[in-house]
Amino acid sequence: MQSANMLLKKIVRSSVLPFAAQHGMKKDLFPLSRTLSLSLCLKQDNSCNPSEKLDLDAWKKVMKSGLQEEVRETVSERKELPSLAAARELLEMWRLAGRSVPENISEEQLKTFMECPSKSAKKKYLKYLHLKELYKKNDKRKMDEKRERRLAAQEEGSETDKIKNTSFICLWASSMDRAYNWRVAQSMIFGQPLVFDMSYEKDMSVREVVNTVRQIVLSEGSNRRSADPFHIHFCNLKDDSLYRQEFVKHYREAWDRLLITATDQCYTQIFPKDKLVYLTADSPKVMKTFDHDKIYIIGSMVDKSIKKGVSLAQAKRLGLETAALPLEKYLLWNSGGKNLTLDQMMHILLTLKDTGDWKKALEFVPKRKYCGFVSKPMHELKKSLNLINTLKLGKRQEEVRKEFAKNYFKKLRQK
Amino acid sequence: MALFSQTSQQGFQALLWKCRVFWPVSRCHQLFPVSSSIPSREKVNYFSFMTSSSTALPVNPRGTNVIPTNKMSEADYEEEKGWDEETKEASERKLHFSSSVGTAKKQLMSRVLSRHKFTYVQPPEKPLQVEEWNRLKETFRSPEIFHEVMFNSMIRHNSPTDVAKSLLTHVAQSDGDIAYHLLVKYLALCVQQGQTSEIRDVYDIMKIRFRMLESGAYNLFIRGLSNSDQWRMALTLLEEVKKNMTPSRTNYESCIKAAGCHQEMTLAFELYHEMLTKDLVPTLDILQAFFDFSRGMKGAELQKELFGILLYLRENQMYPHETFMRSIKLWFESIPGGNWRGHLTNIKDSGKCPICNHQLEDSDLTEEEYNDLREKIIKDVIHGTDTFRKTSPQEFEAFQTFVENRLPFDIVIDGLNVSHMKPRKMQCENLFEAVNFLAKGNARLLVLGRKHMLTNSSNWKRGIMKEMQNKADFFFAENISEDDAFLLYATLQSGKHCKFVTRDFLRDHKACLTDSLTRHLFRKWQRGHQIVFSPSAEGKHITFLPALQYDCVVQTTGDTWHIPYKDVFEEKYSYKVPKKWLCIQQK
Repeated sequence: MQSANMLLKKIVRSSVLPFAAQHGMKKDLFPLSRTLSLSLCLKQDNSCNPSEKLDLDAWKKVMKSGLQEEVRETVSERKELPSLAAARELLEMWRLAGRSVPENISEEQLKTFMECPSKSAKKKYLKYLHLKELYKKNDKRKMDEKRERRLAAQEEGSETDKIKNTSFICLWASSMDRAYNWRVAQSMIFGQPLVFDMSYEKDMSVREVVNTVRQIVLSEGSNRRSADPFHIHFCNLKDDSLYRQEFVKHYREAWDRLLITATDQCYTQIFPKDKLVYLTADSPKVMKTFDHDKIYIIGSMVDKSIKKGVSLAQAKRLGLETAALPLEKYLLWNSGGKNLTLDQMMHILLTLKDTGDWKKALEFVPKRKYCGFVSKPMHELKKSLNLINTLKLGKRQEEVRKEFAKNYFKKLRQK
Repeated sequence: MALFSQTSQQGFQALLWKCRVFWPVSRCHQLFPVSSSIPSREKVNYFSFMTSSSTALPVNPRGTNVIPTNKMSEADYEEEKGWDEETKEASERKLHFSSSVGTAKKQLMSRVLSRHKFTYVQPPEKPLQVEEWNRLKETFRSPEIFHEVMFNSMIRHNSPTDVAKSLLTHVAQSDGDIAYHLLVKYLALCVQQGQTSEIRDVYDIMKIRFRMLESGAYNLFIRGLSNSDQWRMALTLLEEVKKNMTPSRTNYESCIKAAGCHQEMTLAFELYHEMLTKDLVPTLDILQAFFDFSRGMKGAELQKELFGILLYLRENQMYPHETFMRSIKLWFESIPGGNWRGHLTNIKDSGKCPICNHQLEDSDLTEEEYNDLREKIIKDVIHGTDTFRKTSPQEFEAFQTFVENRLPFDIVIDGLNVSHMKPRKMQCENLFEAVNFLAKGNARLLVLGRKHMLTNSSNWKRGIMKEMQNKADFFFAENISEDDAFLLYATLQSGKHCKFVTRDFLRDHKACLTDSLTRHLFRKWQRGHQIVFSPSAEGKHITFLPALQYDCVVQTTGDTWHIPYKDVFEEKYSYKVPKKWLCIQQK
């Protein structure tokens, strides 16, 4: 029944002729009648030896009878190009075969799908759409459940509807926003600048740019809510760039009222060069303290493929100072790239600005990437590492220990 | 009919662990001779029997005896992998209908976990009545995916088709329709057992029911039919696939093998050339099939085609594995009136074949190739999208003038790489030793390093550095520059005789090259010009493995062929070259 229902939905949704729906109705009655007829046969079968007389090809008859007209359509209601229609149909078949394929796909997405250069690219794109659809559905379901719960709670709690006496006004979001905006406005005049470098569009795919913009929107939000916001600059932001399009898509009409400085100029034209510090994970220099007089630059780039040294190259070209976060010094790194997302960077910088406490700031590094903080005294660390080495190598532990100690302190001194 | 209704965490985990451990086994055993597969099968079942709380049926003996051919079963398992995902899919789909309040993720996890459990349903041995199926379904933990799971385990256990048919009848009855994916699974079972008439029937049904089929079903149809006497139908199906998508290389493989089996060599070669024009890389199985099927056949045309395949191997620097090599050898020896004789041999460093005393080709590039490679290295590796990523324009220019003024070098050394030769020693000592060793033959040396080597430190003693600079030219790049790119440039600039010393495989630089042809050239050049120091050198002095004197590709002189081959089980890295050769000569 389940699959029949699915099929029914499919027919009503995607195909095609108005009378398909009627078929669906009929189809609902089909199995019943068939079950009746077949169960008669079965009764007769049961009178003789059961497993001998079982009609193994009954299913073929079922499949060949009925249900054929609906599929035998040639006219498509959608006015699509034949190739698009074929692609749509192929996707439908894949969905039936149980691949990760979205149920609904827009024409734009279909075109993107058909432009994918390889089979694997197509597969990936479909899977992405499919997951997106799943998340959407799940969210919707949760929302509905929440609403139901709320309504139920309201019905129960409707009689206890008294006005409470409080000396505080209930602060709503709009007034919160006003307070935040006031702070950001102050930072626009007196705050420390923080630059997002928007010159990496050529190095990224469309999806990477979209992700970048999403991360920047998040960072802008957390900056707005902080006690002492940065004055954010979007530099090298060209008017016709994809970045800008995506920003407008995100902020809509708020884009022009946003309390940031967006410019197509380079940061080297706005600020003195000796004050600029380009933050990049590839930098050989490690940041020791957060400097309130410096202007930090973050490269707005999401790198899904491994493009090493792109932002370092940019800093080299402009002859700027560079710095990397001291992740190795404070964290026992586990796995994952040392390049963090833009919103994580924002959180870290804000925390540093407020407190100057590295430990607190690096809380924002994803927990999966490190095992813990370097907090134990050095000799304990050495002991445990020695133990590991002894277990690994068995003998020669004395040598290993000496070697290791030498190297480790050397490393520390370098930093 | 053992459904494991296990709730205790421990037993559950044990079962999971078993699944994880034994699945690969059941997949791997396809690679070994058939005889070993049966015990491992039984083992699996034995273990599942151990962990089950309810009674498990004994192993289905028929299931273990029907062992399909190597290639086919492997593909089946691939298919199966896809289906496991599919099962997950189904459970995900159900997620949205379920309205329990627990977090979706947890639910999903439990579903996925229990999925492993489901895959251990034992399919019945005999066709069941509809009521019996119903009963089974009701005892199953999540009835909505019962059919799928049952089909999956039928494929795994290779159940008789009658059982599957009875299940299909049950599905048709309860739903009035059979979902497409169940039909595909049934089809897979039929293909696995080579039931041609059933495959035809399923095809007819699908054609009636669906306007279009998808790639998975086509793959199964083509594979199933090409192994039967109705192989021509597989060809028509291939045409059908071409209308909507590019066929996969395994599709072509099935068709080519079918054509070859029936001695239709021209047809097989047509298909082969067609797939080459579609930029598909033929599997080694296809190429081997050609040699197998043409064994003992006459014809100049045929011979030309097969030599063409050997040249294809040469062009793409592919090495046949041992069984393929045997096929080649047998084909050569079976050519009527050809008088070819093949011998297996190892070729020494000198590049002389011990069988026929023929000197193998050296790996020198032609002038044209050489220039092409040099330009591409400068363009793609050094500059790439942005010169600043690996060096800077000023630095590169300085390096260029430096090299121009001191050309030509005989050996270019990657200083930092060599300095790590022996970890127990100071880095500059290592380098010093290497330079001393290599400078013996009055060779002109260039050592590439980074500026930090010049600052006096525990590892880099200034005195030793000074002494070295009397014996070799030094160039120090910026600390954040890539010295390897300079190494390549300097070596190529010096000319064909120049070698370079590093233990680096230069894979990332090869990957920077944009087209595959240049990548091949790069590998060829690297093989002939790279000197590696042996890491196991524990003695007083260091030893260097000289660069290969000869080029390791399939090669011919007309009346001899030399074909390098690799062992089947040998892991082959792109930088490793086979040491074993097949030498074929015409008497």
